[in-house]
Amino acid sequence: MSGRLDGRVAIVTGAGQGVGEGIARRLAAEGAHVVVAARRAETGEPVAASIVAAGGSAVCIETDVAERASVEVCVRDTVECHGALHVMVHNAFTGAIGHRLEDTVVERHWEAMSRTAVWGSFYCAQAAYPHLVAAGAQGRLILVTSPSGVEGSANIPLYSSVKAAQRAMAKSLAREWGHHGITANCIAPVAGSPALVSAFERNPALREAIEARTPLGRVGHITDDIGSVALFLASDDAGYVTGQTIVCDGGSFLGL
Amino acid sequence: MTGRELAEVPFACMRGDATRPAWVVIRPEFDPCARPFHTITDEQWGVAWETPMRDVIAQMQAAFHAGARRIVIVVPTTAMSGGSRFAHVAAPAEGVRLLVKSAARQWGHHGITVNAVALSPDGFLDEPDLAGPTSLAPAALPTTDASALIEFLCSDASGDVTGQTIVVDGGVWM
Repeated sequence: MSGRLDGRVAIVTGAGQGVGEGIARRLAAEGAHVVVAARRAETGEPVAASIVAAGGSAVCIETDVAERASVEVCVRDTVECHGALHVMVHNAFTGAIGHRLEDTVVERHWEAMSRTAVWGSFYCAQAAYPHLVAAGAQGRLILVTSPSGVEGSANIPLYSSVKAAQRAMAKSLAREWGHHGITANCIAPVAGSPALVSAFERNPALREAIEARTPLGRVGHITDDIGSVALFLASDDAGYVTGQTIVCDGGSFLGL
Repeated sequence: MTGRELAEVPFACMRGDATRPAWVVIRPEFDPCARPFHTITDEQWGVAWETPMRDVIAQMQAAFHAGARRIVIVVPTTAMSGGSRFAHVAAPAEGVRLLVKSAARQWGHHGITVNAVALSPDGFLDEPDLAGPTSLAPAALPTTDASALIEFLCSDASGDVTGQTIVVDGGVWM
């Protein structure tokens, strides 16, 4: 059976765990050659090996999305290895720590969040650009944002802002790159990432609260729920969808 | 009052008297130049993205600690529409707009309201037409003036309104 992404080449940042891992697995299952771009090989290598063991095509490239040179090397090596880059998924993120806006600690939190979410999107999109142009109507930029980037957050306000900035970047690049056939979209997931699972272990009431407010009554699965949305956006089926944010959270946020 | 006219008044104005709460209006500075995304340098991105975000955070913190009870932040509608060759404006403008929502959620129990007013990109960008149309529809109104709205949002009368973005662009972005 042929896959929906046969012959396509995709980079997924932050793919050593969580949502990025789920996206990488789903894209690979549909035939994409996937680069598991992870900051640490000890997380990325096992994911890539697992994908290969399941019959897919994947390699791990150590990548720090907060550093331009690291992102450029990842893209260069990907294209040298596979001859093209069709899909760039920027998911990597660190630093979502609760804080109050009026406190002086904001500066420390800002740096990590800004670097990985917004500068990371800037570097990934710029490095991928010539290859997405070459890919034409198969060119895809997918940024992983958050429902918090739409509705704001009392707990993690700077996280909301950097995730909102990613949405504005996707809209802008949808306009700017559309004439090449490239689409630029966002996914705003709520999923059982390691960070959320860990939070559930520390605070079981949190899971109950999230499930209670979610019409579908559960937290999303990184591969089956979130990866499948990424697959849609990466596939030819979504060729006329651009500048959008698909909120993939079981219906807990309904205000878009 | 347009976005450009607002830029000519002090960056933040604070007033308070017996009949009105202390209030602050913040009109961030955004890079007005059109820049194809793939040509933007790290230095340009740093100025365009980091400067307005850090400035607004500092201004909001100053307003909070000074006892302001009404905070109004003015942004271009580019925040919501995006803009070709203006990703470096849309990103911080939308980042600021989410600061408004989050601050409204955090500071509401202090009696502080935080709202955004979104104006036409014409008052912020040097070549707004390059950004692409904000909407396919033409403006519904011939002129716009946000002064009365900002005055309302700075008044006691707006005490039940927070976290909102109100667009004053003649009915282009809906």
